[in-house]
This record gives sequence, C-alpha cells and structure tokens, in this order.
Amino acid sequence: MNERYSRQVLFPGIGKEGQAKIRSKHVLMIGAGALGSGNAEILTRAGVGRLTIVDRDYVEASNLQRQQLYTEEDVAEKLPKAAAAEKRLKAINSDVEIHAIIGDATPDMLEELVKDVDIIMDATDNFETRMIINDVSQKYQIPWIYGACVGSYGMSFSIIPGKTPCLNCLLRTIPMQGLTCDTGGIISPAVQMVIAHQSAEALKMLVEDWDAVRTSFVSFDLWRNQYTSLKMGKAKFTGCLSCGEERTYPYLDKENRTKTTVLCGRDTVQIRPASQGEISLEKLAGQLSTLGYVVKGNPYLLSVEMGEERMVIFNDGRALIHGTKDLTHAKTIYQRILG
Amino acid sequence: MNKVMFFAHLRDAVGEEFLKLNATGKSVAELKAELGAIYNLPKLDTVMTAINEEFAQDDEVIQDGDEIAFIPPVSGG
Repeated sequence: MNERYSRQVLFPGIGKEGQAKIRSKHVLMIGAGALGSGNAEILTRAGVGRLTIVDRDYVEASNLQRQQLYTEEDVAEKLPKAAAAEKRLKAINSDVEIHAIIGDATPDMLEELVKDVDIIMDATDNFETRMIINDVSQKYQIPWIYGACVGSYGMSFSIIPGKTPCLNCLLRTIPMQGLTCDTGGIISPAVQMVIAHQSAEALKMLVEDWDAVRTSFVSFDLWRNQYTSLKMGKAKFTGCLSCGEERTYPYLDKENRTKTTVLCGRDTVQIRPASQGEISLEKLAGQLSTLGYVVKGNPYLLSVEMGEERMVIFNDGRALIHGTKDLTHAKTIYQRILG
Repeated sequence: MNKVMFFAHLRDAVGEEFLKLNATGKSVAELKAELGAIYNLPKLDTVMTAINEEFAQDDEVIQDGDEIAFIPPVSGG
C-alpha cells in the first residue's frame, strides 16, 4: 500500500482492505461551495477513485471566508467553481480522477450521472435540488448524505434507501423561506463541523461498514453550545411519495420543478418555485435590510437591489430577476435569498 | 409540565432557549399552531419536532414530562 495513505490504513476502521475499497469507488458531489469544497478535499486526500463535482456558480470574493478550495486569483478570473475546484483537487492528489461539470443539477443530468456512482454527497444550498437528489437516490438505490448549515447552526443525516427514512419523509414538502448563507450569514466552523459529519459518513459507506453509519439526525449550534442527536425510528412515512410503497418520485417530474422563463425584450427572468405557498415579505424585508440590501416593498411585493440585478419577489414565492437573461444565473440569485 | 426547546432562528424569534409550559395532551401540530400564533413564528409545518430526542410526527400526542424540541431544517451549504 502506498505510503501516502499509511496513517489512514493504520486506522482500524479502514485498514488495507478499506483503502482498496475507497480507491475503487465513485463519489458524486452536488455543489462546490463551502460543503462541497471541504468534502471534496477530504475525499481527494483520502484517495477516492473518482470524484464528479457539479456546480453552476462562479467564485466570488464573499466565498473566500469559508470555501477552502478557492483563492483570490479564482475570484479575479471569475472561474466557475467546478473548474477551480478541479484544478486545486488535481494539484492535491493526481491519483484521483476528478470530473468537473459546470451546470445546474437537474433531474435529467442526475439520472444520467448516477448510473455508476456509489454515493451522492449533498453540498447544495437549496431544498429543491436536495429533493431531486433524494428521489434519484431512491430510484437508483444510492445512499446520499444530507448536510446544511447557516449561521453557527448545522445538521447532517445519512439516507440509505430501504433502510432509513428519506428527506421527503422528514419534510413532506419543500420548505419555503429556509434560511440561507446569504440571508442568515455563516461562520466557517459551522461549515467544517457539517463537513466532518458528512465526510466521516462517506468514509464508512465507501469502506462498506454499514453498521457504523450513523442512523440519527444530528444538529448543532456552535455559538450556543447545543448538540442534539435525534433517533429517527418513527420518522419513516409509509405514504411517502419518494420512498413509500406507492412512490412516484415527484421531484423528478417536470411539473414540480422551479420554472424559469425569460421575459421577452425585458432583460428579465421569471422564477416560479416548485412549491407554491405564502411567504412573509415583511420578515424577509427585515432580514435583507439588516444585511445591508436596499429593499423597497408594499404588501404585494418586495424589490431588492442586488448589484447589477434587481429581484422583485411576490408573496406566492414568484420572482422577477431584472438585469439578466441567463436562466441559471437568475435561479442562483433566487435560491441565494429564498433557499 | 413540558420543556420546549428552540433551535436556530426559532430561538431568536422566541427569545428564549427553552420554555416551560403545559402541553400535555396536545398533539405536536396543536402545539406548533399555538406557539406560532403567540410568538409570530414563520410557518412551522416543515420544522422537525423531537420528543425526548426522538423524531415525532405532527399527530403524536405529548405526555406529561416530555421534552419537546423544534429543529428547523436549513438550506445553506
């Protein structure tokens, strides 16, 4: 065995056999932001066989505080995160086959990608993509590891088809107005704590130590010194449309996706979220003003200045992004604010 | 009596880490609706609930002495 992995091989949970298994596996990382950077670096250093990373965004100055793969140079070049991550990861470990995909993680893309994937790691920043991952995971029987954080708060849960409840059992619907890093802020230690939980689970799965995989839902707040570990025995929902007996994989259905449309001649993209429901514009306005955004509103809509773009949000969750014709960019902006 | 704990932004909205109140006999959904109205909380339907550190469904009935925690899923990453 290669000297490079000797300390990890010495660890009884891995050993030579485990290292060979890690080497033979393919991990799909959805997102290359804070969680994606950290998880990808750990798995690359651990010597995973193949790592495919999907991300639709590019590197910005506000990422550098916590997204460990990126540099000021990447910001200056406005490099797509997937490309910048690939460059850095290849420099860290040339043994690992890194495949970067610059694009939106749509159901079609994921269904195509997962065919030879062993585990999916969640490093996204929105629930819509997580629900798509969840359905793909159930349909193709591939475990995935949920992780998320905001402020000093974070959480993780390992989802194994046929064994654990799935994300749709827990949430039943896509939460509207979930706090995001752009609305609630984020400190790097919270990111690292989620990464530690996710990557440890990933290593257990890669060496096929299924008994070691954590079955509880973990959440913590590093500022308020809270740590909870929920038993999930009662969480499986028999009527679940993603993992129940009469499953339909609702989030792979075109009808349930966020709809983006370019409004002709207006340099504007309309976004209609997958789940309709009332959002509190007043609360959102308060949060955004605290963060320094210029916000104007009335009882029907909220207008937010966001650099070169302006977003107008209606109380059913629909939004117009003015100043762009790029559908993916518009969706990125939307999900930054509305999760 | 019951201890009810709040995490993340719910704790900020309530202003306390936990409350002592009598929720015995109420369902989780009833308690969510009641607290949501008192503290003007954002919709609690997707907030996960734990009773004695175990995931609880919305129709589960709270017993005397149960410790309840509300854990909002977040989306940042």
